[in-house]
Amino acid sequence: MTSPPAADAVVVPATPLLLPGNRSLRDPVAGVRAAAEGAVRWLARRHPERVVVLGAGADAVDRGRGVTRPASLRVARSLLAVAGFAGRVDEHAPPGEDLALGGGGLLVVADGTARRDPEAPGRLDPRAAGFDEAVETALRHGDVAALRGLDEALGRALLCSGVPALRALGSGVARPAAAHVDYAGHPFGVQYWVVRWSGRDGEDPAQDAGTRRP
Amino acid sequence: MTLQLGRHAFDDDATLMMAIVNRTPDSFYDRGATWAEDLAFDRVARVVEEGAEIVDIGGVKAGHGDPVDAAEEQHRVVGFVARVRASYPDLVISVDTWRAEVGRAACEAGADLLNDAWGGFDPGLAEVAAEFGAALVCAHTGGLAPRSTPHRVEYGDVVRDAVDSTVAQAERAVRVGVDPRSVLIDPAHDFGKTTFHSLELTRRLSEMTATGWPVLVSLSNKDFVGETLDLPVGGRLAGTLAVTALSALAGARVFRVHEVAPSRQVVDMVRSVAGWRLPARAVRGLA
Repeated sequence: MTSPPAADAVVVPATPLLLPGNRSLRDPVAGVRAAAEGAVRWLARRHPERVVVLGAGADAVDRGRGVTRPASLRVARSLLAVAGFAGRVDEHAPPGEDLALGGGGLLVVADGTARRDPEAPGRLDPRAAGFDEAVETALRHGDVAALRGLDEALGRALLCSGVPALRALGSGVARPAAAHVDYAGHPFGVQYWVVRWSGRDGEDPAQDAGTRRP
Repeated sequence: MTLQLGRHAFDDDATLMMAIVNRTPDSFYDRGATWAEDLAFDRVARVVEEGAEIVDIGGVKAGHGDPVDAAEEQHRVVGFVARVRASYPDLVISVDTWRAEVGRAACEAGADLLNDAWGGFDPGLAEVAAEFGAALVCAHTGGLAPRSTPHRVEYGDVVRDAVDSTVAQAERAVRVGVDPRSVLIDPAHDFGKTTFHSLELTRRLSEMTATGWPVLVSLSNKDFVGETLDLPVGGRLAGTLAVTALSALAGARVFRVHEVAPSRQVVDMVRSVAGWRLPARAVRGLA
């Protein structure tokens, strides 16, 4: 088995609140949006030719109601459009085994759990905080092995729709040269992250303009 | 089209609340509650707090009552306009008058808008608006004289008459120099109309908005609401809000109201249902 390539990757939330059709007069996710747009701009600037998107597939119930494009892909396309990205987009939702990065940037649309507090979509599950903490630690340190090993069954129980995409990230790329968390929070009981991984040695995404903290 | 109300400009999708402020001892709804100037000033503060963009200051009760000559009307209105102007530079000040001489004095004191609720009875009012760069409301009264009550009034088609009359007034106003961005038309419910006429105007308000002129509606607690629901003044809020909703859906832009906050909520809600306004903050089911 060959080692996966080093790659630039960005993780953003899959929340439909980021979609233009769900705008409000007062943006409930202004900080998340600013961070996500900044991170995707960073990725698009580094990979103007091609971006590979990993996200959750459409829920079976939603598919039965006529949803043809999963929210993760619509969020990705929307953020790429905001970034002015005009290159090729390869979509994997849900992601399969073979990523075929081929020099592109990786855009991972994935949330953490949705059971962080009593008002969360799935109500409070005491296991959720620890699960999210483990994911966040892995994202912060570029720990691909930890992502690869995320527990899918527990993830499902905690309404963590991002597990398959995060596992695919862990499988598809080598440990990054540097990682930076632009946003981490669970404003509605759902864990969101905006993270940038740089695949190039000697670079620190935190020093790169284009993002700001919420 | 951008709405230019004197010194204030509004986007073409803005809806505006015009709060009624009476400087009268006998108006039908408040019965002199703001006859004392300080109480009227307190009401201005309250409606501004509630989000009104416009105050409509009137010195003469619309219906029957003691005669109020021009000098008395000016006495009631002009100094008050100046006081409000000084305290609220961002507020649109409208004056509800049919008299050009009162309009002139009000504009000199800082009024932005002349609400000619009696439908061009004194044609000089448009010239005053032009001279001062003020806006003008052109209302339909069916030719009724100020402060008179309709008696067996009939129209072949009340909506057609309202459109023709208000558009003719609007076009004349522009001809005498009023900025076309500063002219509104008002079907003037109850004025020169039976309840059936006002109901039909409400039902077919889109024919007025289709003219392209911004439409002001003055519905608040009026008799057509009271007669329709058999409710006295004081019990007409729900009926008022119902016709406010329908008027918003028909595209009315300015709402002359007693109750600012509920009217604003109804208009915002209707416009969001119509897809013309974003929700304030929608998270439900999307986090």
